[in-house]
Amino acid sequence: MKRSYVGVILLAAILMMNIVFTQLVVHQYYYENYGVTLLYAGLNVLLFPVALFIYKKEKNKGGSKGYEERNLS
Amino acid sequence: MSDRNNKVPFDEDNYTHNINRNNERMLDRRGFMKTLAGAAGVFAVSTLPWGAVAAKELMGLGDKEYPHQKIADVKDVKVGDSVKFHFPSEHDSAILIRLSENKYVAYQNACTHLRCPVYWVKDEQEMICPCHHGKFDASTGAPTAGPPRRPLPGIKVEVKDDVIYAVRVKRYEA
Ligand code: FES
Repeated sequence: MKRSYVGVILLAAILMMNIVFTQLVVHQYYYENYGVTLLYAGLNVLLFPVALFIYKKEKNKGGSKGYEERNLS
Repeated sequence: MSDRNNKVPFDEDNYTHNINRNNERMLDRRGFMKTLAGAAGVFAVSTLPWGAVAAKELMGLGDKEYPHQKIADVKDVKVGDSVKFHFPSEHDSAILIRLSENKYVAYQNACTHLRCPVYWVKDEQEMICPCHHGKFDASTGAPTAGPPRRPLPGIKVEVKDDVIYAVRVKRYEA
């Protein structure tokens, strides 16, 4: 059973950045730095496709195979 | 076709016998990653409204002048007293404080911590939030104690013909 934690760790890091950016968006909005608000909101949205990409790439890594994969060949 | 199922043992090619429900609900690595990616999506969607409002504000739609609104007559507000009013809309509660003969300050009094109403304590010359004991400096609106970190949004006031008017909400000078 080989393990691959890379995807999990990367996705966790992305979620962490999501939380941080969301917090920044809210704070900068109330500080009325609207440009910065937009920047962080944009980054937050961009993180989603990145997360999807990592998921797509990593889902079949690792040794404990899921049902579909076991039946592929 | 018809006699195939009568054979014992018959050919198992019907794709139903091999459905394996064991561990179906187990959260494995892949399921966990799916959850993480989904959560990222939720975060992305939930910041969209903030971005939209910020963009609107950037394009100058939010900085409009509101019609001057009468708060009170000068003779009704003694030095050191406060008056509650609503500005710019009736959902934004605000407070006016007469600090001295000619000095009036006004703030939107939703606490910048969790939006409890801040009120004026005359004896301590401070604005106090009852929820978590946040305190604000009356002459600037800056937070002086407790959880709030941002100053209260100030409201510009104008005195004309012995009547106090609210003119506009001040921007932060950040
Ligand atoms: S809401 Fe005012 S201090 Fe928490």
